[in-house]
Amino acid sequence: MLMRNSGLVLALAIAAGASLAAQDGKPKTVGGCPAEPAAFHACALDKAKTFTPPRSRSGKPDLQGYWRGQLAQSFSVEGVSGSEPLVGSSVMPWQISPAMIVDPPDRKIPYQAWAIPIGRIGVNYHQYVDPRTACGSGGVPRLALQDASQILQPDGDQFLVWLHEDHHVQRVIAMNGRPPLGTDIKVTNGDSRGRWDGNTLVIDSANFNGYNWFDDSGNFYTDTVHIVERLTMIDRDTIHYEVRVEDPKVYTRPWTLVWALVREKEPGFELLEEACREGQRDLDTLLQSGMKYYFEKPWQGR
Amino acid sequence: MRKVFTSALVAALFSLAADRASAQTARTSDGKPNLQGVWQVLNTAAWDVQDHSARLGIPAGQGVVVGNEIPYKPEALAKKRQNFQNRATADPETKGYLPGVPRIMYMPFPFQIFQTPESVLMVFEYDRGVRTIYTNGTPHPRGPLNWWMGDSRGRWEGDTLVVDVVYFTDETWLDRAGNFHSDALHLVERYTLADLDHMNYEVTLEDANVFTSPWTMRMVLYRRKEPNVRVLEYDPGRLMDEAEAARH
Repeated sequence: MLMRNSGLVLALAIAAGASLAAQDGKPKTVGGCPAEPAAFHACALDKAKTFTPPRSRSGKPDLQGYWRGQLAQSFSVEGVSGSEPLVGSSVMPWQISPAMIVDPPDRKIPYQAWAIPIGRIGVNYHQYVDPRTACGSGGVPRLALQDASQILQPDGDQFLVWLHEDHHVQRVIAMNGRPPLGTDIKVTNGDSRGRWDGNTLVIDSANFNGYNWFDDSGNFYTDTVHIVERLTMIDRDTIHYEVRVEDPKVYTRPWTLVWALVREKEPGFELLEEACREGQRDLDTLLQSGMKYYFEKPWQGR
Repeated sequence: MRKVFTSALVAALFSLAADRASAQTARTSDGKPNLQGVWQVLNTAAWDVQDHSARLGIPAGQGVVVGNEIPYKPEALAKKRQNFQNRATADPETKGYLPGVPRIMYMPFPFQIFQTPESVLMVFEYDRGVRTIYTNGTPHPRGPLNWWMGDSRGRWEGDTLVVDVVYFTDETWLDRAGNFHSDALHLVERYTLADLDHMNYEVTLEDANVFTSPWTMRMVLYRRKEPNVRVLEYDPGRLMDEAEAARH
């Protein structure tokens, strides 16, 4: 357990930006909506009906700028209750938090029975190094709650780029209707194709290699996951971020996560370089303690 | 006026001739040369930026260094030779680290350029590298900073994108042959479209710790024309870890 904690200290150091956002930014409302994911979800969808977003030079909704996750934490997408022992951790106490899941109504991941002991602070958490701690990508959608990100809508509207400070991850989202990638090619952050549904950016992604988690708890998807993200501005500085997850290999039904992206308004703000592997110090210790790389994923062969 | 109209017509004809599917035009909507698209070198600089004979698994190549000689200080030349001897383990590439600039520009992997009025963005298949070249008139931030990919600030000189890059580490090399620099490296890069599908790339390296004078590399970037071309993913660190995991 001590070894595990040393890994978490590293993760904490990496995620300093996200922690600050979680501790400093706990407003009662976000974008004029209640600061609880399910209540925010209902309110934001309503607000979006009447808000007209700013337009890019080519007339598309303008989502460009720097953004930070709000109403989100990286401990567990299912939320953290007061009875969770990690809330009392002396090294990195988890914070009591509501679930970011808005569907199904019980706000739990609808895992198939075999997957429950693997996710949810189970086999993944206890036996595998968090792929993000091993300097992998945070993965989709976890990327959008770690550190700052930047959305660019380059000239010509053929692509949209979502840059993440976290481990210098970049997502190129094809807006030109190109065909999907062949199914034999798997990539960490998926093959992402976008379109505008009214004022909402819809990003449809597949071809994931399944090497990523949703959160620190080891909640997971596999290489058959299909993720649809919906980004809708509800005011000039707030995006309603909705993520629908479907993976017949591991869940009994599709389910949905929601949080907010709030504009970073610090004057002169720019993304910094966050090299990870280049400064990695703790991975060997974790591996020597018996933790395994997540590549040996416990769902292999399913 | 007539001349402006003619050059606009020529530009329009060029853009018609270009691949319609990529909607490539000669100018961005703010009138700058349109560098957007997927690019890649076709040279052997990744192995050795200088002239070199073939070695097993390595193609012979004519160097990209103008004049072929790199003006190393005597002690730096000795270090370069030592790097070459130890390259199988000493090359930072073998550790899966970000390769730095300019090395990432001539890795044998594609990269994609995007443009907004504020920046020219480069997204690399190799190690999911990313370079934001700010073209919004902002200066380098206050240093000292040590970044693997440096800090890039660009400006347009006519139709040439000129980029000033500083704030490096001393832990990246220039190629697999042990050519190297210190954290005092200062680059001036020049990107000029020769035509819609070819871009001249020139980079001048200045580093008083290692070189006696600035020196220059020149090469051509080729537009990848396959209709289905895209930047995929080659994450060397992850692949190394995956191979390591498979050994246990």
